[in-house]
Amino acid sequence: MLLRNRAFWLVLPAVLLIGICFLYPVTWLLQRSVSEPVWGFQNYQTIFGRSIYLGVLWNTISIAGTTTTLCALFGFPVAYSMVHSKPLLRRVLIFVVLIPFWTSILVRSFAWLVILQGGGIINDLLIGIGLIVEPLELVYNRFGVLLGMVQVLLPFMIFPLYSVMARIDESYFKAAMNLGANPIRAFLRVYLPLCLPGLLTGAMLVFIISLGYFITPALLGGRGDIMIAQLIFDRIDEFGDWPLASALAIVLLVGTGLLFVTVNVLLKLRGRGV
Amino acid sequence: MTNNTKTPDLSRRTFMTTSLYATASVVALGSGTRQAFAATDLSGRQMVFASWGGSYQAAQEAAYCNPFMQSSGVSVIQDGPMNGSKLRTMVEAGEPIWDVVDVTDTFLFANEELFEDLDFDVVDASALDQSYVHAKGIGCIVWSYNIAFNTDIVGENTPQSWADVFDVEKFPGKRALRDRAYPMMEIALMADGVAMEDLYPLDIDRAFKKLDTIKDHVIWYTSNSACQQLFVDGEVGVGVMLNGRTFDVNNKGAPVSLSWNQNIRSVDYLVIPKGAPNAEVAQHFMNSAANAENQALMANTLAFAPVNPAAFPLIEGAVLPWLATTQENVDRGFLIDAGFWRDNLDAVTERWTEWKLS
Repeated sequence: MLLRNRAFWLVLPAVLLIGICFLYPVTWLLQRSVSEPVWGFQNYQTIFGRSIYLGVLWNTISIAGTTTTLCALFGFPVAYSMVHSKPLLRRVLIFVVLIPFWTSILVRSFAWLVILQGGGIINDLLIGIGLIVEPLELVYNRFGVLLGMVQVLLPFMIFPLYSVMARIDESYFKAAMNLGANPIRAFLRVYLPLCLPGLLTGAMLVFIISLGYFITPALLGGRGDIMIAQLIFDRIDEFGDWPLASALAIVLLVGTGLLFVTVNVLLKLRGRGV
Repeated sequence: MTNNTKTPDLSRRTFMTTSLYATASVVALGSGTRQAFAATDLSGRQMVFASWGGSYQAAQEAAYCNPFMQSSGVSVIQDGPMNGSKLRTMVEAGEPIWDVVDVTDTFLFANEELFEDLDFDVVDASALDQSYVHAKGIGCIVWSYNIAFNTDIVGENTPQSWADVFDVEKFPGKRALRDRAYPMMEIALMADGVAMEDLYPLDIDRAFKKLDTIKDHVIWYTSNSACQQLFVDGEVGVGVMLNGRTFDVNNKGAPVSLSWNQNIRSVDYLVIPKGAPNAEVAQHFMNSAANAENQALMANTLAFAPVNPAAFPLIEGAVLPWLATTQENVDRGFLIDAGFWRDNLDAVTERWTEWKLS
């Protein structure tokens, strides 16, 4: 039966790939996180019992959450302009949005350092035109981290939004206006809900990728901007502490999974008109 | 550790005097090692050398690998970058693909079980400064953490001690410090008035208390390139920087220099992972890397100091003052206690993270 099913053969390569490249290592991590140094939950107790791990987890969620929100705010108008511009301009916009993908993350982060620092061009310009006297602290703090991350992750928000927006029938919006809604109401009640699938896909992508970041926060951040990936890396690279690193990774994975499920459930509820 | 800094000084001093009489002895040393190769025929064999990549590994290729290939007929394959977890995993799995690896002193001390014992019948370590010789590895380069400053910002009045670096009235503005407990604990304690020879075992509580006083006046760097950029662009006036990195920017014309006062020396070791497929060849490679000519070649390229004192006569005069192992610079600093850090790195690093989040 199963062997005759075409769908089975179509998904088999993907299932094998995920099985070998994802499930196996994750099972291995899970096992190490509960079996060393002795069987039990001691590694998880460490994580949930010490302020540093919870603090860093909270940092990670808050940085990823803010990055996602900012990407949505900045990405939405860009995607909208891409859909509603002439083909040539659209191509230029797509090109511009894609540029960040072609430069290494290290190069980009260093470029931000040079631009944002006390004697960087932004501060020089602002001081030069007399707007400020003392240079603004634009980097080595949370602001720098968010700026660097939003720039890198914007395309992951823009493209899902773009593909959904491009399929929206403009006449819905016009109909809403025709029936007496003002533009803001028509946008909020008609256009935005239609964009929601793209917005949520983009948000999930940005949020999940953000959770694993650490080069950008390490370079552009300040004293407290430590993310969980940095801690996991240090545990393994510096201390060979696979058990605790595994437990941290599992906590991150389960947290992300829960979030994914929650968003899906919410979407389904909406779909049923609740 | 105090012992460690004192004993080698004597032996080096003796050696330096001797080498004044006979620079030619170096050449003799060089040909001596070559004869050792001839005894075991290695030609046609292979080995893999792994290090940290970039200009550092390129210099190592030129200074250690190429001369060894020529003298022994072994082909040395470059790999890397060195990564602690990768190395540990391959050794634990019993299938290391690297034969010689460049590791930091703390990594070696904390993971001695991962490496082969050196065969000192093959590796002639007698000419080396013994404070950089370990049963499992030989030092290849010595570097140091130094007080660095931008002369355009600090002017004539340069910082002379870590206490100066921590003095926000004398040196207003931000300072660049390394975002690691190692060696910031030592630095904070010296800034608080602890003498170099009384540092170990480190008083961690006292170090953090001292760090509290400058908390808001620091840019913490994780990457050495970022540190160079901070000093070159004048974002900071003072701070801590690696001697080789300071040499690099100074050489390129930046108004950045260093003080050797209270410098903290550290070592990179060459080691052979346990079970390395070409461990025998690797032992011979070690011997070659430690010889004076090769060590001098490294110093002349990147200003990393030799562990073989016989290399000094072969090093360019302009490079000498930048090296961490010249007698003058050794006298003004100390070798970091890798043993202390082996036992405490984990706990102190956790406190470091906690402190940063607070």
